[in-house]
Amino acid sequence: MTAAGSTARAHGWVAHLRDGGTTPWLAWADDGGSAASVRALPGAQQLELLRRLNLAVASGAGRSGARGRDHARLADRVLTASAAGRGKADLPLLGLPASSFGPRPVDPAGVSAHELLRVASAVLADDLVELGADPVRRTWAKPWRRRFRLVGDPLVTTAAREHLLGRGRPEGGPRPFVVAVGAPLDVLLAHTWTQRCFEHGSRPWEDWLRFWRQRDQLPARVDLGDSVRRWNGRRPFVRVVTDLDQLPRHLGVRHLPEVRVPGADQAELARRIAAVVGLRAPASERPALMRTLQRRIPDSGVAPVGVPARERAWVASSAARMTRELTRAGYPVVGDLADLAPRSAPAAATGADDEQVLELAIRMIVDPAWRRTRATTREVER
Amino acid sequence: MSRRVLLHVGCPKTGTSYLQDVLFRNQATLREHDILYPAERFDAHFLAALDLMTLPWGGIETEAVGAWDHLAEQVRDWPGTSIVSHEIFARATPTQVERALASLGDAEVHLVLSARDLVRQVPAEWQENVKHRSHITYAAFLRTIRDPGRDSRIGSWFWAVQEVPDILERWGASLPPEQVHLVTLPPPGSDRGELWRRFSRTFGLDGLPLDLTAERENPSLGVPETSLLRTINERVTSIIAPPDYRPLVRETLAHQTLSRSVASARLGLSPDDHAWARELSRSWIDALAGRGYDVVGSLDDLLGPDPGTFTDPDSVPADELLPPALDAISALLVEGARLRAVEERLHEELREAREERDRALMTTTHRVKRKIVTTLEDSPAGRGTLDAYRRIKRRS
Repeated sequence: MTAAGSTARAHGWVAHLRDGGTTPWLAWADDGGSAASVRALPGAQQLELLRRLNLAVASGAGRSGARGRDHARLADRVLTASAAGRGKADLPLLGLPASSFGPRPVDPAGVSAHELLRVASAVLADDLVELGADPVRRTWAKPWRRRFRLVGDPLVTTAAREHLLGRGRPEGGPRPFVVAVGAPLDVLLAHTWTQRCFEHGSRPWEDWLRFWRQRDQLPARVDLGDSVRRWNGRRPFVRVVTDLDQLPRHLGVRHLPEVRVPGADQAELARRIAAVVGLRAPASERPALMRTLQRRIPDSGVAPVGVPARERAWVASSAARMTRELTRAGYPVVGDLADLAPRSAPAAATGADDEQVLELAIRMIVDPAWRRTRATTREVER
Repeated sequence: MSRRVLLHVGCPKTGTSYLQDVLFRNQATLREHDILYPAERFDAHFLAALDLMTLPWGGIETEAVGAWDHLAEQVRDWPGTSIVSHEIFARATPTQVERALASLGDAEVHLVLSARDLVRQVPAEWQENVKHRSHITYAAFLRTIRDPGRDSRIGSWFWAVQEVPDILERWGASLPPEQVHLVTLPPPGSDRGELWRRFSRTFGLDGLPLDLTAERENPSLGVPETSLLRTINERVTSIIAPPDYRPLVRETLAHQTLSRSVASARLGLSPDDHAWARELSRSWIDALAGRGYDVVGSLDDLLGPDPGTFTDPDSVPADELLPPALDAISALLVEGARLRAVEERLHEELREAREERDRALMTTTHRVKRKIVTTLEDSPAGRGTLDAYRRIKRRS
């Protein structure tokens, strides 16, 4: 086939994908006819992602998703999206007249999930920015109620803070109770990293753990004693809570919403999206956007991240040190400081693999239900 | 007046920092001569590049929101010649190039690429990697970039910003060849002003009264200094976050301390790598010669110097690492002392502010009011009363 013919064939395949086609590139035999275009060919990453999206739609994953013009718009967005970050540049298609220079051509079907995720996270970040942040529910402040300052487990404190704000109980005020929410240290670390992913992003889970282990320090939000000192907590006005059933009482409410612990795939996807949102929205808007994502991200059934076996000795010694510090400080404890010791059995899988994350990303792109429905907060007895 | 845009897209390590510094500092003079270099801050075009290419960059990217569109808008609104310059534009994909060129409107776009021979670029890029937290050895770096698969992060980035014929294909595909200007860096030993003369000619700056003082450069390191920095990276990269690494390691250690050792051996290529680089360069020169670009300098400049004495940075003996290591310790101690002084001053200012506040609050009336408020705050009823009082007071 001539060079022009090959290029026309590629543009024909692009048109096929734009129409919702699912034929792999190497099986694409159509010579393209009049499909030649002056536009640059998208990279293999963008094209393969679009084909996977089409497959997901065809398999019914996108029943409430895009059709017709909406699909064409989605296809254009995917084909023009940049693969976020300093990875590979857009890869040319195998079988086209190859330049002597530039990256080697590839079969799109062989592009790794990691590469496809770089494009998918950019598309989802744009979706999120377009969606905008959910409004924060707040009512008249009730200053006669107990004032509080929440520190510790970021998943629990973020949910509680938001719930209390909606009930007229904003955090802070004069002489608040400093309530430090504890958990087994491995859980506390996993929750802290997960929450970071839904705020401004983070290093990958295992890198993040290694960073702290090699420094032999705990992240600011994990170190309960340091968190209490940062807010000038004085002994009578401090509660270290390790028994979460009693947390509502110490915040002056009967119930708190159930805390949703994102799975490893959700956190990893959020981590990648956060990096792109940082390029799409002003820094001041990112926390609210990422909180919106945290509320709306669909469940996938994947377990949360776990501490790998090689870090467990450090986690155990850090928990013992933190327990000693809190004991010496003499803060009132609700529960038992022994509960800060890591409890979980070593995680078989410490995080999500790229395929799981890609599956979730594809589901979110083809099924925009998460962008339509309002997040609901369920209240449960604690 | 016709609108022209001179779009300088690379390559890294080709004197771009100096050029950009001259353009940034002389914006007013340039405007008087109808040339726009639109930059409110020195790194404005770097931020625009991050935005255009969706490149997170250690947190700096949060300052890049909308930076490309802002830059393009200023260029579109300028009636004369505009200059856009940053070396990482070299990495743009065909789709990003298409978007970039479309957003510049109907201006006559001239693409500028400054290029240096691979014999000097390869060691310079390894050094740049080391100054950006990498602890890859020189041998591993060379293996990585010589791997035709280019599968690694380092390999794909290196070729994306250094493979001159490919960059020009991506950026220049839609432009007439006479609007593509390839500025070659003069060979080693050339007159120091020659590179500026080539830039000046290409960007139409000849005869303008510009301040050419070198205020901002990206200095290179010697072999033992680079080797030491790489070893330091092995220890600290995983425990020093990028926002701390930049001022402490790259600025204080690399740029301000280790780059001063001008007598150290300079990094080059081993005979085998040199032969490979030369062969590759010849194929580039052959390809470029047939494209009809405007070459400022000579394509032969891209062949690179003859092989010199090679000092392997992966096997620098300890006694050669000692002097730069002592320099590094001294520099960090001085920096530590400076930061302690800053901390001390801030504590002092805070103490003075607190004393001033306390003096202002020590009146009898204030003490009585304080007592009442403290007592009321101890009970729910008291807190409610206080809140009602405060609301009434706000309304009145």
